[in-house]
Amino acid sequence: MGAPDKPGDLVQGTLDMLVLKTLARGAMHGYGIAEFIQATSDNVLRVEEGALYPALHRLELRGLLASEWGASENNRRAKYYRLTAAGRKQLAAESEHWGRMTSAIALIMETA
Amino acid sequence: MPLKHVVAVWLRMKAIVHRRRLDRDLDDELAFHLAMRAQQQGGDPAAHAAARRQFGNLARIRETCRALWTFAILETLWQDLRYGVRTLAKTRAFSLVAILSLALGIGVNAALFSLADAMLLRALPVRNPQQLVEFVRAGDGSLCTNLPRPVFQRFRQDRDLLSDVFAIDESTLALGAGGVTEPATAHVVSGSFFPALGVQPLIGRTIGPNDDLAGAAHQVAVLSYPFWSRRFGRDPSILGATVRLSGEPVTVIGIMPPQFFGLDRGRVPDLWIPLAAEREAGDLWVLGRLRPGISIARARLQLSPLFHQALEDELQSSSRGWDRKAFLSSRLLVNRATQGTSGVRWDYWDYSNTLKILIGLTALVLLIACANLANLLMARSAARSREIGIRLAVGAGRWRLVRQLMTESLLLSLTGGALGLLAAGWGHRLVLGFLVDEPSGVALDFQLDYRLLAFCLALSVATGLLFGLMPALRATRAETSGVIYQAGRQRGAWNMPVAKGLLAFQIGLSMMLLIGAGLFARSLRNLAAADLGFAREDLTMMDVGAAGKTPQARRRFWKELTGRVARLPGVRSVALAGDAVFGNGGWNQTVWIERPGQPAQKADVSDNLVSPGFFATTGIPVLSGREFSEQDRENAPLVALVNQTFARRFFANENPLGRRFGSDGPASGDRYQIAGVVGDAKYGSVRERPRAMVFYPMWQEPARTGMVLHLRTAGPPAAVNAAIQRQIEALDGDAMIGAIRTLPQVLHGELREDRMFATLAGFFALLALALGAIGIYGIVAYRVERRTAEIGIRVALGAQKGAVLWLIMREMLMLLVAGSAIGVPGALLVARLVKSQLFGLDPWDPLTIVSATTVLFAAGVLAGFVPASRAASLQPTQALRSD
Repeated sequence: MGAPDKPGDLVQGTLDMLVLKTLARGAMHGYGIAEFIQATSDNVLRVEEGALYPALHRLELRGLLASEWGASENNRRAKYYRLTAAGRKQLAAESEHWGRMTSAIALIMETA
Repeated sequence: MPLKHVVAVWLRMKAIVHRRRLDRDLDDELAFHLAMRAQQQGGDPAAHAAARRQFGNLARIRETCRALWTFAILETLWQDLRYGVRTLAKTRAFSLVAILSLALGIGVNAALFSLADAMLLRALPVRNPQQLVEFVRAGDGSLCTNLPRPVFQRFRQDRDLLSDVFAIDESTLALGAGGVTEPATAHVVSGSFFPALGVQPLIGRTIGPNDDLAGAAHQVAVLSYPFWSRRFGRDPSILGATVRLSGEPVTVIGIMPPQFFGLDRGRVPDLWIPLAAEREAGDLWVLGRLRPGISIARARLQLSPLFHQALEDELQSSSRGWDRKAFLSSRLLVNRATQGTSGVRWDYWDYSNTLKILIGLTALVLLIACANLANLLMARSAARSREIGIRLAVGAGRWRLVRQLMTESLLLSLTGGALGLLAAGWGHRLVLGFLVDEPSGVALDFQLDYRLLAFCLALSVATGLLFGLMPALRATRAETSGVIYQAGRQRGAWNMPVAKGLLAFQIGLSMMLLIGAGLFARSLRNLAAADLGFAREDLTMMDVGAAGKTPQARRRFWKELTGRVARLPGVRSVALAGDAVFGNGGWNQTVWIERPGQPAQKADVSDNLVSPGFFATTGIPVLSGREFSEQDRENAPLVALVNQTFARRFFANENPLGRRFGSDGPASGDRYQIAGVVGDAKYGSVRERPRAMVFYPMWQEPARTGMVLHLRTAGPPAAVNAAIQRQIEALDGDAMIGAIRTLPQVLHGELREDRMFATLAGFFALLALALGAIGIYGIVAYRVERRTAEIGIRVALGAQKGAVLWLIMREMLMLLVAGSAIGVPGALLVARLVKSQLFGLDPWDPLTIVSATTVLFAAGVLAGFVPASRAASLQPTQALRSD
């Protein structure tokens, strides 16, 4: 397979996780996902838009997302993504992993 | 997780099929995003521009996403293929030379592989061929598949190791049907033969154990498909009909299907008859089928005692003069016979270098084609260095470019390979025609099989990599900046030392082929002109079989026959012999020479049985004593003639005339007195060393069934053949006329392999020479073009035409010298391997080496002279203007 230029592993992995988490609330299009992440993180996390769409397509190809075309809120043709069963499982695994990582990091930061 | 991969592949396949939709969807999705963003930021044109800026490189993101959805390699491969085809189509001459030379190079290799595959690798079309084994007697430094009969009788009693044991003998019989009597080759088989192989007849039935009983009521025969077609035009009514086999009525009970050829691909018999029907009990090929789970080693170990008992049986029952000690010390070998007991295999692979030399020759051809192409490709990439430089400069990855150049190379090699596969189709028949007398008597299955396909594919890919990789790597190494500014040709990617090295290597390989071709050609000439020891002109030999049941009847037949033939117009003289004067070589035999006051001396000799007039007819000179006469008959004192080698080897300085020897053990009763010494001759083959030979007069022995009629004719032999055939038929309708051949024909057959080597090597050498000339022409033309400015200056400064010519030619001569420096030692090294094939000259034959070098230099100089003379006639103004 052609290797598209990859963002750093952490960023990539994090972006995937954030996308999965966002879609856990329901189907959404790419623009909505970007906006949601930005708004929910109080504008701290800004999604690199150039990385978002390759990430979405990669997740779709991995079978974690499914997509369908629908009409958007302003009646335009938009591609909606939703989680698949595999995607839900992946989200649970990544959340758990993330939780352990952050608490471990927090532990070190507090002790030191 | 496999399922995940399946999903991914499925989605991509869909994307390939709906490629347009994929592109549109992608565009729509990204456009939607941009529109939403612009709307959020006010919706005016400035907002649109801002949205674009924020998004980043749109084209790149789209490409990234697209790449995810497609099989990127397939995509670029398709691109490269189309580009490659366009590029190759633009340079027709180059592509043509490349594809044709590859087609030839791969074709000859494929033809040979196909032949070797058919000869050596294919299993017999019988039930479980992998269980079949053949038994071999190893002793006296020789291997023998003809085993004494007791071996078969002993082995067939075995129940533990072998599930079947069967035996075959070969015999030529006179088959009379529809008023015509002709020789037919029969495989005389045990009743267990067909059941053991598990083969079914096309029509009728096969020979079973009940047909192979001593007192069987009817004699039966099964016909082979080729014989049924040739002799009876596939007439089914022959089934159940009666034919005459050597005078006996025999019923045809079955016809075998075309794919069944017996056990030897090299010798398809005309018919099969039961062993019990055989008149003269000779040795047998013995084969068996191993029970499941029995290994070759175990079979050999446990059958060896039986084998030695059988040898003891043979010594007790046989009157043949076995050397008891040597005979008993011979060992049993068990060989797999999955592919049959192939005479072809023995003749061309196991015990000869024929195929190996051919493989070496063809591999050399392919290697030369590869070196040539690598060189041409490098020259071409020099011409393309500008294109490549620009592509590198605008950001094409080096590997991407290498991949594209390799696609072109593989395109060439695969096209060449496909053409080669086609060429192999008739090529192997051509080679087979060189190898055997009667290609129709050889059952080789040339069907295209996966092995040949895989071989061609692998060879094509390997070839493509071999000639394409280095030029591709070199071409893409060009420094970008220079190339763009410097009009391409100044910083050529054609690295001169490498290109020169390659060309020298190619010239060296061509030199090896040339020397090989020269050696084979000279050897063939020596063979054709060799002194055979007898007169070869107008000598005809004809196999004749007497039908008479008693020696007396046969003697009358032979006497009458020679009398009648001698009176025919056009016949100068006629004689009979047990073996043809040339081609068979007589039987090996041991005689014991009487020495006064000492025990008899043992002597290994060959012998032949001849009629009076044999030496006059064949032209073998009688050096001392006398030739046989009609007086040398039964009840007259036994006499023999010996050849010079016999006289020299066993009598040194003494006079052999009048001395006596026995032929049946040291104390044998019958003693032959030497009545004369005849000149040495070649008996079996042109290559044989002089051997001791004994001739016996045929009238002193009971008359034989089969003899060879020798004729010296006044004119063309064909004219009297028909008359002789009429005489024989008039004399005895059941008598058989076998092969008729002239001595030149025999010699022609004998030298078949040498002619093949000479022809093929000569053809390959010409090819190599042509390719080498193309290579030299290319490299010199390229050098001239590069040095145009320099040459212009030299001419302007007053350089003479000759000096310029020399400037260019010097480089090329050095290449030729370097090539010879590789080729001559290489040839000397390899020539040792073909030493056994050469006759009358050394592998280091100086004349051949000198001629090959001369031819190569002449071709090289000629090829280089054309562009060099163009350089020499350059006008300085024109040269300087060309930048």
